[in-house]
Amino acid sequence: MNDFANEHYRRLLDALPCYVTLQDRELNILWCNESYQRDFGLPYGKTCFELYGTDKAKCSDCPVEKTFLDGLIHSREMTVKTKDDHRTNMMVYSSPVRDDNGKIISVLETAVNVTSVKDMQKQLILLGQTVAGMAHSIKNIMMGLEGGIYVVNKGIEDKSQDEIKEGWEMVLLNFDKISHIVKDILYCSKDREPNLQEIRPNDVVREVYKLFKSMAGSYAIEIRLDLDGNVRDAVIDPAGLHTVLSNLVTNAMDACKIDLWKDEHLVEVRTRKGKNGSTIIEVADNGIGIGKDLKAHVFEDFFSSKGDKGTGLGLMVTQKILREHGGKITFRSRPGRGTTFVATFPRKELPNGAGQ
Amino acid sequence: MSKKILVVDDEDHVVKYLTIFLQDCGYETCSASNGEEATEVLHREKPDLVTLDLQMPNETGTRFYRNMTKDKEFKDVPVIVISGIPGRHLAVSKPVAVFEKPVDRNALLDAIKKTIGE
Ligand SMILES: Nc1ncnc2c1ncn2[C@@H]1O[C@H](COP(=O)(O)OP(=O)(O)O)[C@@H](O)[C@H]1O
Ligand SMILES: [Mg+2]
Repeated sequence: MNDFANEHYRRLLDALPCYVTLQDRELNILWCNESYQRDFGLPYGKTCFELYGTDKAKCSDCPVEKTFLDGLIHSREMTVKTKDDHRTNMMVYSSPVRDDNGKIISVLETAVNVTSVKDMQKQLILLGQTVAGMAHSIKNIMMGLEGGIYVVNKGIEDKSQDEIKEGWEMVLLNFDKISHIVKDILYCSKDREPNLQEIRPNDVVREVYKLFKSMAGSYAIEIRLDLDGNVRDAVIDPAGLHTVLSNLVTNAMDACKIDLWKDEHLVEVRTRKGKNGSTIIEVADNGIGIGKDLKAHVFEDFFSSKGDKGTGLGLMVTQKILREHGGKITFRSRPGRGTTFVATFPRKELPNGAGQ
Repeated sequence: MSKKILVVDDEDHVVKYLTIFLQDCGYETCSASNGEEATEVLHREKPDLVTLDLQMPNETGTRFYRNMTKDKEFKDVPVIVISGIPGRHLAVSKPVAVFEKPVDRNALLDAIKKTIGE
C-alpha cells in the first residue's frame, strides 16, 4: 500500500466514534485507534484486560478468544473502566483478520460506548413500574365503581333510598379519586419550570393552616405552627409550596387518625433557616409512625398503606416539586411515636428580569 | 342453613360490594380488612369459604393465609384469591380459584357454588 492510502486509512479509523483495537492470541494490543488511546492510555506492550481495568484477569466469555477459535464474529456487553476510572458500559464486537492463506493472524475488536443506552433502559424500567402501579390502582377504582353501581341498582330494585345513597357515595368517591390521580399523573409527566417568585414562606404556611384547621379539629387533632421570624423572603413557587404543605399535612393527619394509642394528637408545622440560606419546612406528627417494612416504599409511585383512601401519589408530587426547586425531602420516624417530614428549599435568585 | 363466606380485603368498597353481592346470592357473610382481624373473624365465625386479597399492606394477607393453613381446624377451608396484581396468588399454594380485580362477579359466584354449593 502506498503511504498516502496508509495515512488515509489510519485517519478513517481514528475518526470512528468507537474504540478499535487489533489483538493477538494473548490479547496483546498490536494497534489501536486514537479514541482508544485517549480514553484508555497507551496500549503497547499491554493486554486488553489490563487496559479495561477488569482486575487484571481475562474477562469471562472473551469474544476475541472465541473469534480466534472459530473465526466467527462475536459480541458481548461488558462494563470496563477508562483510564480516569469512569465505569463505562460497552458493546464489544470481535472479527477475524486473515492472511492470504485464510489463517487468522489477529482479531479486530470494535467497542461502542452504550452507557447512555443503559441509562435509558433503567429509566424505562422505572417507567414500567410506574405504569404497573397505575394499572393496579385503576383496577381497584374500577372495582369500587362497579361495586357502587351494583349497590345503586340494587337500591333501585329494592326501592331503598339508603342503599341508593350508599352506592352513589361509593361511585362519587371513586370518581373523585380517579380525577385526583389523573391530575397528579399529568403534573408529574411534564417537565415544568417552577413559577419562581419572591415569597414569604410563613405566609403560605398560615394559608394552609387556615385551610386545614377546622377539619383537623373535627378529628380532635391540633395543628400548631412554630414559625421562625428569620424566614423572610425566599424564592419559591408559591403554588408548589402550597401543594407540598397540603400533602404533608394531610399525611400527618391521616397518621394521627388511625393512631388509637395516644390521647392527644398534634401536627406541628415548623419553618427555619438552613445552611447556605436554604429554607427548611418541617411537618411533624405524633401519629402511628412508619414501620421498618414501609420505610423503603413511602416515596414509591402509587404506594399507599391506606387502601381505598389513598392514591400513593402525594409524596410523588411532593418529591417532584422539591426536585424542580433543586431541593429535597426526607423523613425520620419512630413507629408508634410519630413522623417528621423535612422539606429543604435551597436559596435561589430570581431568574433575570422576572418578578420585578 | 346457608353457607358463610369471609371476605378479606383492605378496601372498604370491595368488602361492601362483595358482601352485598354474596348476601344477594343467599350466602351469609362476614368480613375483615386486615390479616390480624381476619384471623380473629375466622375463629369466631368459622366460615365455609374465604375470599382473600393478597396485596394488603405489610403482607398481612399472606401471613393470615399461612397461619390458617397451619391450623388443623381451618387448613381445609377453601380460599379464593382476589387480587389486583397478576401472579400474586403464587403465595397461596392451593387456591380454589384466582380472580383479578375488577372481578367478574358471575364467574366468582360460579366458583363459589362449585366449591361449597348454593
Ligand atoms: N406522616 C406520615 N406518617 C405515617 N405514614 C406516612 C406519613 N406520610 C406518608 N406515610 C406513608 O406513605 C404512604 C404514601 O403517602 P402518599 O404518597 O402521600 O400517598 P397516600 O397518602 O395517598 O397514601 C402512605 O400511604 C403512608 O403509608
Ligand atoms: Mg398522601
